[in-house]
Amino acid sequence: MDNLVKRAKELLENKTVQVVIGYEAGPTGVIRPAFITDPEKAGKLIYNDKCDQNLAVYLTKKEVKNFGKMAIVATLPVMRSIMMLISEQQLFAESIVVLGISADGNLLDIADINIMQGYIEKSDLSNPEKYKALLAELNKLNPEEKFAYWQKELSKCIKCYACRQACPMCYCTRCTVEVNQPQWIPVQANTHGNMEWHILRAMHLAGRCISCGECGRACPVGIPCHLLTMQLTDQVYTYFKVYAGTSDKMNSVLSTFEPNDKESFII
Amino acid sequence: MARIGVFVCHCGENISATVDCGKVADTIGKLKHVAYSTEYKYMCSDPGQTLIKDAIREHKLTGVVVSACSPRMHEPTFRKACAEGGLNPFLCEMANLREHCSWVHEKNELTTEKAIDIIRTQVEKVKLNSALQPIRVPVTKTSMVIGGGIAGIQAALDIANCGHKVVMVERSPSIGGHMSQLSETFPTLDCSQCILTPRMVEVAQHPNITLYTYAEVESVEGFIGNFKVKIRKKAKSLDEKACTGCGLCTTKCPQKKIPNEFEQGMGMRPAIYVPFPQAVPNRPVIDKEHCTYYIKGKCKVCEIVCPTKAIRFDQPDEILDLEIGAIVVSTGFDIKHADFFPEYGYGKYKDVIDGLQFERLASASGPTAGAILRPSDGQVPKNIVFIACAGSRDPAKGIAYCSKICCMYTAKHAMLYKHKVHEGNAHVFYMDIRSGGKNYDEFVRRAIEEDYVNYIRGRVSTVYERDGKLIVKGVDTLLGAQPVEIVADMVVLATAGVANPGAEELAQKLHVSYDSHKFFAEAHPKLKPVETNTAGIFLAGACQNPKDIPDSVSQASGAAVKVAALFSQNGLTREPLVAFVNRTAPPMYSTCVGCFLCQSVCPYQAIEREDFKTRDGKIIKTVAKINEGLCQGCGTCVALCRSKSIDLYGYSNNQVYAEVVALLNEF
Ligand SMILES: Cc1cc2nc3c(=O)[nH]c(=O)nc-3n(C[C@H](O)[C@H](O)[C@H](O)COP(=O)(O)OP(=O)(O)OC[C@H]3O[C@@H](n4cnc5c(N)ncnc54)[C@H](O)[C@@H]3O)c2cc1C
Ligand code: SF4
Ligand code: SF4
Ligand code: SF4
Ligand code: SF4
Ligand code: SF4
Repeated sequence: MDNLVKRAKELLENKTVQVVIGYEAGPTGVIRPAFITDPEKAGKLIYNDKCDQNLAVYLTKKEVKNFGKMAIVATLPVMRSIMMLISEQQLFAESIVVLGISADGNLLDIADINIMQGYIEKSDLSNPEKYKALLAELNKLNPEEKFAYWQKELSKCIKCYACRQACPMCYCTRCTVEVNQPQWIPVQANTHGNMEWHILRAMHLAGRCISCGECGRACPVGIPCHLLTMQLTDQVYTYFKVYAGTSDKMNSVLSTFEPNDKESFII
Repeated sequence: MARIGVFVCHCGENISATVDCGKVADTIGKLKHVAYSTEYKYMCSDPGQTLIKDAIREHKLTGVVVSACSPRMHEPTFRKACAEGGLNPFLCEMANLREHCSWVHEKNELTTEKAIDIIRTQVEKVKLNSALQPIRVPVTKTSMVIGGGIAGIQAALDIANCGHKVVMVERSPSIGGHMSQLSETFPTLDCSQCILTPRMVEVAQHPNITLYTYAEVESVEGFIGNFKVKIRKKAKSLDEKACTGCGLCTTKCPQKKIPNEFEQGMGMRPAIYVPFPQAVPNRPVIDKEHCTYYIKGKCKVCEIVCPTKAIRFDQPDEILDLEIGAIVVSTGFDIKHADFFPEYGYGKYKDVIDGLQFERLASASGPTAGAILRPSDGQVPKNIVFIACAGSRDPAKGIAYCSKICCMYTAKHAMLYKHKVHEGNAHVFYMDIRSGGKNYDEFVRRAIEEDYVNYIRGRVSTVYERDGKLIVKGVDTLLGAQPVEIVADMVVLATAGVANPGAEELAQKLHVSYDSHKFFAEAHPKLKPVETNTAGIFLAGACQNPKDIPDSVSQASGAAVKVAALFSQNGLTREPLVAFVNRTAPPMYSTCVGCFLCQSVCPYQAIEREDFKTRDGKIIKTVAKINEGLCQGCGTCVALCRSKSIDLYGYSNNQVYAEVVALLNEF
């Protein structure tokens, strides 16, 4: 990834950006996010197929934004997250530089939003293959079995909210779970309340989830909660022919109405 | 501590016939925080209201639940009673025992239990109610009338004569609308122009009216009392102040073969033209689509001949920004033309014309100076057939409604024809004669009995040409559906009245609803026929559905009164049941993250942005803000906001939650 390092160094040296968000290898070799502000340290940046965290989550964090203009190492899910964040007014296109990474791991030349949009449009936006297979398995179950499956999985949830913290689209200043007037979601972890939390999270991400799988990877107890949002991604596509994060001007599918929208899901 | 009073109404027998009101009042009286509970036959009556007022004082009530009918009718009644009893009116709630319970269930235990449950939810809710104050909004006392037909003219004059400012926006170069094209008008046969033109002039000269012709509404934002309107004044290619209206340009323009819209295509006009001699304003416009200069880049004859040098080829469209308090929509209607009817030759027979064309033929100022001559060869038709309901009441053609005016104008046309062509024969095919209205049926009878118009009840299946004659084939249903064939020289179709082109687009700009035929929709078919569902926007004339002149004028005066009533107050008060986006201490300012997804769901465009800035003007945070004047309290945004940063006064999340919990809990 010499190209990536060179480009990051350049951007920092000529002060186009004040921070580069990317990946580095930690002391034990585990991949972790890196926030490079010193051009001399750009050499730490790496990219390989283990770099799968969705870095876009940092773009809305005050501590990172305070550095100034940001450059970000961006795989397809990151690029799509960026589109979502711009369209939901959480990010300005002018405040970032995208260091795009292609599916085969090479540095892309993403000079502006339109080029990024072009790249996204050319890509396969459906759920990644490994998740598709898992979903297909799940969808073989009948509703009672499915319910039992999720009940069992979600009973493990300890309400640490790591799934929420990891998701770039969960940028709310205050999450619903922190509202106590009224207390929509109970504070303590119990199966019933856990299910309420997960239904709520899934609905908040319906039509907004860009299928990065980060929430599932973040979960310390191994709940595949990303399958809930990915299932909705599938459904939204089936009904409205829209994938999230394809343009910086897209309207949120579930909060806009088109006269020719299908309404077959209304019972 | 909460002290709630519950008042159970029998609604005569409407509720008490199926609900045991005594038991309900007793059970509710035992609930925690219920300080007083009683029943009465008619709570809305004077003694019923007195009961509430007295109980508020006597039992020091902090909230009231009237358990009666739907809040739609009587919520204001009971809120007012509470206010008179010394309680903030918004501390009064209604439990709907009638529509939600007694009317939909049989008399039994469960029905009574359900009534108790409904009241329990409201008791829980009202405990969380807060005293609210009505919202005051200012009113800009300038109205806008869109469309200058007779309806718009009447509305504008009435409003202006009440002493308020009016801006009239007319799309075409002159006001007058369809009435200016009519020859004589039913049921009195007075000359249309003679009664209309003085009013057109009055509009132009009225000190309170500003007239913009050749202009269209570009956008409308804002809300009742406070609309912000953009108007596009299309370039007339003329300096209106310099032009004296001498008309030399219109006679010299070499481009003379443009079908004249005012004459319904039966005459020609030049590219620079005044639509008709009595036009107001009497100033020409250049039709850029047909003007040789605009097409080919040279000509400018008008500019050369104009004695005052008033022609301006490079004039741009002008956009005006106006502040408007109330809007009257009076954009009128249109009719279907002969080309809509395959059975009558798709408009390819020159002598099959529509009603408006006939009006122009019969008009003294029309292309034939009032002589009834057929378009193909200028001969006087000896046999003329009028076909009523052409397109109307024909679901197969997508127009199921009655166009209302055609029966009357067809009788008028037949009569005018007989008055002008004494030896001619006039036949009318009709489905029913709909002549309800003062002196209307008498008018039709006169056509039949005194002018010997031959009325045939039946439909015409086809019209075709044979040897220069039009063969009209139909049936006479009064003679047992016997086929009738008439050899005619001319056929006049009373074609369906339809919405004006552009009505849908305008309705969307105004955010008012329209029906499936694109006619503007009233707020209530019986009780609010002049209002739209958007406060401050009213309807007048045929833009709502086809109407005759008397109906259009009466409705226009009705709309004018609505505007005047609005302007008679210095400000508006409205219910404070609106949404609000929370505010917290800096540096958060609000839990809103400014995603503005709520903006896209608000059906009333009530959500705006608010910036929080540092002292030197740098924006720290942008969050949503509800415009209280616009918000209708629908709650859509509340449901949408993920971070629950929006709430609704009077129906807060807390209140609704309490209602649900009350239902879930045993008591
Ligand atoms: C053939 C025929 C004969 C008739 N004879 C009679 C009769 O004898 N007696 C009788 O009582 N009634 C008669 N009527 C009915 C009469 O024409 C209507 O009642 C009357 O014209 C309705 O007036 P209005 O102002 O509502 O609409 P219109 O006359 O249609 O006027 C609407 C005005 O709004 C303008 N406008 C439209 N859209 C816009 C826009 N988007 N922005 C700005 N301006 C716009 C138009 O240019 C027009 O000037 C007859 C109708 C027809 C078709
Ligand atoms: S779960 Fe919903 S409310 Fe919570 S952070 Fe995510 S989107 Fe926001
Ligand atoms: S997969 Fe999970 S983390 Fe990724 S966008 Fe969807 S909900 Fe958010
Ligand atoms: S990360 Fe896992 S345990 Fe934590 S809240 Fe999410 S699902 Fe529950
Ligand atoms: S109020 Fe809620 S929905 Fe509206 S902008 Fe704020 S966070 Fe988004
Ligand atoms: S309550 Fe309804 S009208 Fe009011 S701001 Fe919210 S969405 Fe708009």
